[in-house]
Amino acid sequence: MGPHWSELEDADAEDATGVMVRPYTITRGRTAPERDDLTLITVLTTVEEEAGAALARGSRAGARGLQPEHRLILERCRRPAAVAEVSAGLDLPVSVTKILLGDLVAQGLLRARAPLSVARAAGGVDLGLLTAVREGLRRL
Amino acid sequence: MATPHSATPTPTHPAGPAAPATAPAAVKILIAGGFGVGKTTLVGSVSEVTPLRTEEYLTRASIGVDDLSGVDQKDTTTVALDFGRITVSPELVVYLFGTPGQERFWFMWNDLVNGAFGGIVIADTRRLDTSFASIDFFESRGIPFVVAINCFHNTNTRTPDEIRTALDLDPQVPMLLGDVRERAFGRDLLLALVDHLMDLAAVAPVG
Repeated sequence: MGPHWSELEDADAEDATGVMVRPYTITRGRTAPERDDLTLITVLTTVEEEAGAALARGSRAGARGLQPEHRLILERCRRPAAVAEVSAGLDLPVSVTKILLGDLVAQGLLRARAPLSVARAAGGVDLGLLTAVREGLRRL
Repeated sequence: MATPHSATPTPTHPAGPAAPATAPAAVKILIAGGFGVGKTTLVGSVSEVTPLRTEEYLTRASIGVDDLSGVDQKDTTTVALDFGRITVSPELVVYLFGTPGQERFWFMWNDLVNGAFGGIVIADTRRLDTSFASIDFFESRGIPFVVAINCFHNTNTRTPDEIRTALDLDPQVPMLLGDVRERAFGRDLLLALVDHLMDLAAVAPVG
């Protein structure tokens, strides 16, 4: 993993570029996700039935489509996880992770849940949501 | 908790099924402040997991006109973000993201701020100026925030009023003094932020 932003000095930046090739090999050269609605805290959940079938197909010779990283993601997201968590777990940059996640969402193997906003679409603030957050934090 | 449906359409599956009951909703709170002021420490003090680290590419395009001396030959390098999580309930998770402190990484803040509940700005009384920029950023974007004065070395000799004046804080912005290594202080900061959001909602015109 590359240097933390607080440690990133020019000398480290030299090293960080050394890991550049492989991540975009994983994405078959794609450098941007096809969907732009995946945020750092979009929560992803594996769709068990479809994913199970896809993983089983992949274990036979000649199967195509799912790469090892895709498989890791499907395993990881059996317990819902945010994009940032998947990225950290795979040790892949966020942008690369989003591309892989987008593949799986497009195939119906992953379900994505958009983050909540404190601002309601209808205007004003979601006091119910704030109250729920407050109750949870009090138990810390 | 309130229905999230109005605020959170599920654009990923416009015609698909609703998110399963097992997928919690997520909200995001930002932890900002100057370099080395204790952002990751605060994340760690309240997170239920050891702070995780994720990376994003720092491309020349996203940096814009910034001068990255020393990486002239490179198109990309990486910048890391530390974050933690608090499971509020099976249906709701709070993610806490430390923001990059150095100015040259601030382009990332645009993504981070998007959809954020609010922020906590940590300040160190020995070098308050390092947190000016964080305060300016939240103010200019209209992101509600609270200020944490980190006093972990007992080095604070200023009164809260003096600090508030030095930071040029709006009187409405809550300011708490404490030790960011302590979970109770972290909790109090988060609660102060939520209360601040509720106060703001109470005085805002009803939509």
